[in-house]
Amino acid sequence: MQTRYDTASAAWVERLRAEGPEQAVAIRELRELLLRAARFEVTRRQAAAPHLHGVSLEDVAEQAADDALVAIMSKLDHFRGESRFTTWAYKFALLEAGVKVRRLAWRGREISLEPERWPQIADPHAGPEQAAETARIIEAMRDAINHQLTPHQREILVAITVNDIPIDVLAERLNTTRGALYKTLHDARRKLRAHLSELGLSVGTAEEATS
Amino acid sequence: MSRRPDGDRLARMLGPGEPELTCDECFEALERYVELELAGTDADSAVPGLRAHLQGCAACREDHDSLVAYLNTDPA
Repeated sequence: MQTRYDTASAAWVERLRAEGPEQAVAIRELRELLLRAARFEVTRRQAAAPHLHGVSLEDVAEQAADDALVAIMSKLDHFRGESRFTTWAYKFALLEAGVKVRRLAWRGREISLEPERWPQIADPHAGPEQAAETARIIEAMRDAINHQLTPHQREILVAITVNDIPIDVLAERLNTTRGALYKTLHDARRKLRAHLSELGLSVGTAEEATS
Repeated sequence: MSRRPDGDRLARMLGPGEPELTCDECFEALERYVELELAGTDADSAVPGLRAHLQGCAACREDHDSLVAYLNTDPA
């Protein structure tokens, strides 16, 4: 793909690739931008993370900005100019801040890889046919989870989609990555869908999976 | 939007059920996708599989939503 930097983005890349004082100034300016983005993210997530009491959010933001800066400088050659440079840079700061807050919110909490609760038939508005179909799907899924998935697939699927453990928290506890866990989850989901399909059960598509 | 609790759970367990990017591919294309979205152009056609991944991966969806929210504050 052809690279087409806008003028401001080209200037960022050129200054960050320079040596000496010019680069130092550019790095300082970039870190300030990253810190602002990281502060935005930790503040935004604060309300939804009551377990963060006692944590210095400013420290979290500073650390996120530092980590994002390191990632950006090591990946500068990966910037292809398909967006503004700043948009590309912000995503690193927001990611670092988001992951740190998620992990801090779960610090000291036990995680369970066994199902804490299975989906229940709880919809009072469901008609008898719909309720029966849902019950059949749930039963088929329990069967598939217990008999079609590998133990690892079962644990990951249950932890993330039944026990609601954030994937980044799970990745940290299991010493792996978000991407590796999602691959396992994806494979497990594919097996579940195939099993339900074999049984003639309707399982829907992305339209229904947005919650 | 009101949804059946058990239906939501089942949807999370089953995922999007269509071709989707990996987490790494999603992160790689995220800034382009979001800028296209905010410009009102067809981001889904430009980056096939990213929308499906966001529907299946809560963490990547949060990263996407954060970038959209931050860009909407019109940062420098």
